[in-house]
Amino acid sequence: MQPLPLTEPVMLIMMSLAGQPRHGYSILKDVEQMSAGRVLLSTGTLYGALRRLLNDGWIERFEEDESPRGRQAYRLTAGGRRNLQTEVNRMKHLTRLASLRVAGKET
Amino acid sequence: MFSLYQCLLWLYPSSHRREYGEEMTAVFSAACAETKKKGALTRSLFWFREIRGLVAGAFEQHVRSLLGSHSWVLLPTRRFTMHSEFRFPKTTAILMTVILAGILLAIEKAQAISASLPHSNPPVGPIQPWHLTFLPPVLLMFAFTYAAGLIGWAILFALKRSGVHRLSEMQGPAGR
Repeated sequence: MQPLPLTEPVMLIMMSLAGQPRHGYSILKDVEQMSAGRVLLSTGTLYGALRRLLNDGWIERFEEDESPRGRQAYRLTAGGRRNLQTEVNRMKHLTRLASLRVAGKET
Repeated sequence: MFSLYQCLLWLYPSSHRREYGEEMTAVFSAACAETKKKGALTRSLFWFREIRGLVAGAFEQHVRSLLGSHSWVLLPTRRFTMHSEFRFPKTTAILMTVILAGILLAIEKAQAISASLPHSNPPVGPIQPWHLTFLPPVLLMFAFTYAAGLIGWAILFALKRSGVHRLSEMQGPAGR
């Protein structure tokens, strides 16, 4: 099971797949774009994370129909989407609390 | 370069290589083609990132295949790590050390070659003072440059750790 909380690269990979199914290179580019060039994944890091997520059942692999060479693509499973939502809620709570503390409204 | 990547893939367990090797190579090939349009520094950083990612990834896969669910013993726990926007090239110190080692090695090799050559010329007269004083200042200059670089790196690293670069961001909203 992929323990929570997630690392930033894994979170970004999950976010990338939440929008639409993607193949490896598309995930790399989307993560780079989402993080404004701050998180640049190597293929080793990407496929290590994808393998963990596949083993934990958070994502699934399938063959793209339109691809001429049977390219593999990845998409979130229902469980993966649920876990991502849980992590997003946790982060929302954390950022709300942090904002209050920084503003000095809560002691 | 492409063959080097394929060689490094052999560091992975065979199961991972069989399942993802071809796909990883295809993705790397596409990413590599894109960096060809960019500068030498971008290409170098891309290569550094890829090699580091492959070595670390191979290590992780071996640990996972050996220890299974107990792999957390050797691997770091999954935590959300925010990457600072301040990006400092951590490789600077390593790069400077490699350059210095290369220079020292070249000097040493040159001296060894010079010593091994037969002296066909007539014996040289008394050694001029500049012969004695040329090498030490050069070495001193390299050592000084190296030390200055290291000190600079340490100062920037300390500033980064102190979070001083975020002061302007904090002062902005507070000042309003």
